[in-house]
Amino acid sequence: MNAITIDRLTKHYGTQAAVEDLSLDVAEGSVCGLLGPNGAGKTTTFKCLLGLAHATSGSVTVDGAPVTPATFETLAFVPEKSALYEWMTVGDHFRLARLAYKNYDPARAAELAALFKLDSRKKIGRLSKGQQTAVAIVLAFAIRPRILILDEPASGLDPIYQRVVLDLVIDAAAGGATVLFSSHQIGQVERAADRIAILKNGRLVLDGDLDTLKGDEKIVEAVFDGPAVAPNGLASDARVRRIEQNGRILRAYVRSGSAEFASRLEELGPKAVSVYDLSLEDIFLGAVADAAPASGEAT
Amino acid sequence: MSAVFTVDPRSGVPLYLQLIEQVKRAVALGTLAAGEQLPTVKALAVDLTVNPNTVARAYRELERDRVIETSPGRGSFVRSGDGALDGRRAIEDIGASVLGGAVREARSLGLEREAVSKIFERALERWYAGSSPEDT
Repeated sequence: MNAITIDRLTKHYGTQAAVEDLSLDVAEGSVCGLLGPNGAGKTTTFKCLLGLAHATSGSVTVDGAPVTPATFETLAFVPEKSALYEWMTVGDHFRLARLAYKNYDPARAAELAALFKLDSRKKIGRLSKGQQTAVAIVLAFAIRPRILILDEPASGLDPIYQRVVLDLVIDAAAGGATVLFSSHQIGQVERAADRIAILKNGRLVLDGDLDTLKGDEKIVEAVFDGPAVAPNGLASDARVRRIEQNGRILRAYVRSGSAEFASRLEELGPKAVSVYDLSLEDIFLGAVADAAPASGEAT
Repeated sequence: MSAVFTVDPRSGVPLYLQLIEQVKRAVALGTLAAGEQLPTVKALAVDLTVNPNTVARAYRELERDRVIETSPGRGSFVRSGDGALDGRRAIEDIGASVLGGAVREARSLGLEREAVSKIFERALERWYAGSSPEDT
């Protein structure tokens, strides 16, 4: 069963397309990391998903139904930009949440607030950006949500508190919660997520199980005696994402079938062919790279 | 638990494969003994700070490979099979994978088969000195 279903979502602001024909399902119990450069459409996607913005077309459902106020009894959202009231104290927010959310657990909130060393008497306006993020995180996790949507949850936090957030996400996932989160901290995504979706210019450019992607996506590199020249048709091989040529080196980013592709390169008579694993950072950069002109540094 | 697992999430090697290899190695070396209990999926995920579904996937595959067995409500345990034989085979698998990788690397550096063979012989002499077949 899918906890979150985004079906052909399109959102235009005026003539500007923020999200274009995006379809993404997040299975119950899965942790999906949403990656993309700034302006790729991550925040807009979250807004449409939560009913904070109207989709131009397409649909979103949570637990198979459209989002209603009741959805938020079990779904928690941490926005990228603080939605807290600057003139209220941390404690005021906790009291407000207790009134607003049926599942709000004050003991859990106190425990989490202590983790982040939050002072409940302080006004939000007097907190650093990181502390404000921490308040939003405490409020989100204190309802023991079944679905968590986190937009840059590490934003403004130092590495120690980033790890605390990561631990909370993993703990929630281990308890069966579904998580959809965006982050520029690829190392965090690499640990917490079992599923990756990469957006670029409002479109989904890569989507899949993280371990499967790491098993499939490879760099195949061939070194030649003379200048490397890719024969016609190599770049259009269905396995190839893109090809780079740099002097005597020919480097292909393949999406699968690296061993077979390596054999194909062997036939060109190179001095050596190697296959390299890709980290998520490599996969991400490869997916959002602008299609480089094949000439470039070649020859 | 006597075995300690570490994984490198930044590596290009899928996390679940890293875990499978580590458990197999621990069983082969005896740091995980037959009948010994493994941490729960949740405990190991929290301990390593990695996705719990990834840990669960590693456990499922280890169960399929008959390295561990899981009984509902009790947890996962190292299988008691022909321990000595399984251990020997697992160690050979690990050795083959490490040496295979090294040979692949040497070949990708452009070394000829003869050259690799010589390097290999020298390494054998260094590390297996006194135990070569000729000596016995």
